[in-house]
Amino acid sequence: MQDLLRRYGPGLTLIMALMVAFWLLMLVIIPNMTLFEQSFRPYLPVTEVGGPRDTYSFNNYLKVFDGSIERSFLGFTFTIPVHVLTFWLTIWYSMVVTVMCFLLAYPLAYYMAKIVNPRSLPTLILLLFIPLWVSEVLRAFAWWIILAFRGPLNWLLLNLGLIEDPIRWTNMGYTGVVIGLVYTYVLFMLFPIYNAIQSLDTNQIEAAEDLGAPWWKIHWRIVLPHSKPGIASGSVMVFMLSAGSLLVPSILGSTTSQWFTQTINQWFNDALDWNTASAYAFLLLLLCTLFVSLAMWVFRVKLSDIAK
Amino acid sequence: MKHSTSAFSRRRFLQGSAAGAGILAAPAIISSKALASSGEVNFIGWAGYPALAEKVFPAFEAATGIKVNFKELPDQDTMFAEGKVALEAGGVDVLEPTIDRWGGWNSNGLLGAWDPAKLAMDNYLPGLADGSAGERSRAGDALMYVPSNWGTEALVVNEAEAKLSSPPSLGDLFSPDNSVVLRPHSTLAAMGRWLDATGKLPRPWMDGYSDMGAMVELWDIALAEAIKAKGNVVQWWSGENEANAGFTANGATVGLCWDSTGYNLRNDGYKYVAPAEGAFAWHQGFVLMKNAANVDQAHEFAKFVSTAEGSAMWAAAFSSNAVGKGSADFIDPDVAAYYGGTFNDEALGKLWWWPEQSAEFIAKRSEYADKYKAA
Repeated sequence: MQDLLRRYGPGLTLIMALMVAFWLLMLVIIPNMTLFEQSFRPYLPVTEVGGPRDTYSFNNYLKVFDGSIERSFLGFTFTIPVHVLTFWLTIWYSMVVTVMCFLLAYPLAYYMAKIVNPRSLPTLILLLFIPLWVSEVLRAFAWWIILAFRGPLNWLLLNLGLIEDPIRWTNMGYTGVVIGLVYTYVLFMLFPIYNAIQSLDTNQIEAAEDLGAPWWKIHWRIVLPHSKPGIASGSVMVFMLSAGSLLVPSILGSTTSQWFTQTINQWFNDALDWNTASAYAFLLLLLCTLFVSLAMWVFRVKLSDIAK
Repeated sequence: MKHSTSAFSRRRFLQGSAAGAGILAAPAIISSKALASSGEVNFIGWAGYPALAEKVFPAFEAATGIKVNFKELPDQDTMFAEGKVALEAGGVDVLEPTIDRWGGWNSNGLLGAWDPAKLAMDNYLPGLADGSAGERSRAGDALMYVPSNWGTEALVVNEAEAKLSSPPSLGDLFSPDNSVVLRPHSTLAAMGRWLDATGKLPRPWMDGYSDMGAMVELWDIALAEAIKAKGNVVQWWSGENEANAGFTANGATVGLCWDSTGYNLRNDGYKYVAPAEGAFAWHQGFVLMKNAANVDQAHEFAKFVSTAEGSAMWAAAFSSNAVGKGSADFIDPDVAAYYGGTFNDEALGKLWWWPEQSAEFIAKRSEYADKYKAA
């Protein structure tokens, strides 16, 4: 703040502070507080809002336990509320997406940071960025077309003689959703890891090689620990973006997949019950935050590591 | 000239008049429409039907001089949401929901009543604005809804590949021989009506729409049966484009879809077939916002869409059926032939109009749709 004052003077500093305050207050805090308050009130006709039935309760949050269905897993049959199941599957497949993004991004990040000729690096980064210039909707639709029953992927595989009958790629549980999310968010994993590995002194790798360490041990003992903050921040971003994505699961979902955000959207747009929708949205936010904190604690990553 | 009186200085004057001008200009800043003329009507309708803006609104403006400000929205849930905002903010006069939905909107305090004296109620074809449809258009004595067009949801079938029973039935949607494209909540209703027609329900399916206890009882049965048959579903649809893609890109052979989907695919080897149980039918029309600013213009607008020519244009834009008497003379022969091929007098007599669905019903219906999708 002192630096800001000295550099820009009181006038500009005040304007900047006011603009940041406006941003936070009007675009973040007030809308969220409104939804938070709404989430505790029942869905009532406009004429009854503020009336005797308009009281605070946890009922909207408890609706997540309504409507049990039977499922069997590994031979066990159990009943589970349908929205709890949806929530769990959303978390689970978001983790799958995160792990797949890591597996794709780590080797590429290492290659970009330590192996590739620095002169071709800008070209490489440009190539990676090009998909980001296209809207997320179009990217999801492009995958929908590729995976369609009469789409180019089946056409190619049929003509190569690899399959005899076309495959319903878009109707295989969460396959389409996972492919779409990995494609959409893999760069959010790549660049933090790339930044982290780049700051590693190449001499350390060479020293390990000179001392006879095999390649996997170099990665396990030197590169991976050094890139941990990058991996952590990439994972948090990919996980949160995946769990919160509505577009990709709506477009690439199959007849058996349901993402928790779609359930929230249904409460808003199908049942017109904005109150329960808000409650579900806060459940997602809260539980995902808890889950990420837990994961960070398990992997011994601190918030300050990520901010680096 | 004494300086002691100069408390009213040039500077103070400028400050004061600037503030005054600000206050005077405030309504213009808040809403440029506050003082605008009223030769216009603000209409919220369905997105994806370009002929409305290309043909119908210019014709209406040429006939009456009233300009239509059209906002396109993809579905009526979004329209309701927009109406809810407009109840506070204004700027909306007329919306276009289906007949089963306006009751929910009205109980939310959104709607005002039409004045039949300013409309031409004799323009409408029999059965659309009178009889049971007429009763369902009114809250007490007040006319809340006037029709704009109507249509059906029935079987779209691939002529070469679909395996249909004879006569075609809603049950064909649940046959493992067909790949189907469906939308979850209509499918559960179709299952219920099919079970009802084959005598497998303990009580009439219609009971579920008026009694929540009966609804749970009946929808539990329909859900269990629909889950058993779910293996043949290749894709869900929620709008026109998805339904179309379900057939063309994902190779479905039968679907429970809107008539417009069948119409758009009519030259690609698909046919629109009314099931033996009767096609689902919907009825769409205009409602007036409670705080509408352009009430007379709104009436002119609804009246125009009840005339022979206006209703034919409106129906043509939606590839659906017109509400006005004499509209047949103005309809594209292609469209007329298409509907004539699906609905003979018997099929028309069997049309099953979607009943009114309360907010509580729709919330419960979504839950069943969720369970169906998750299974």
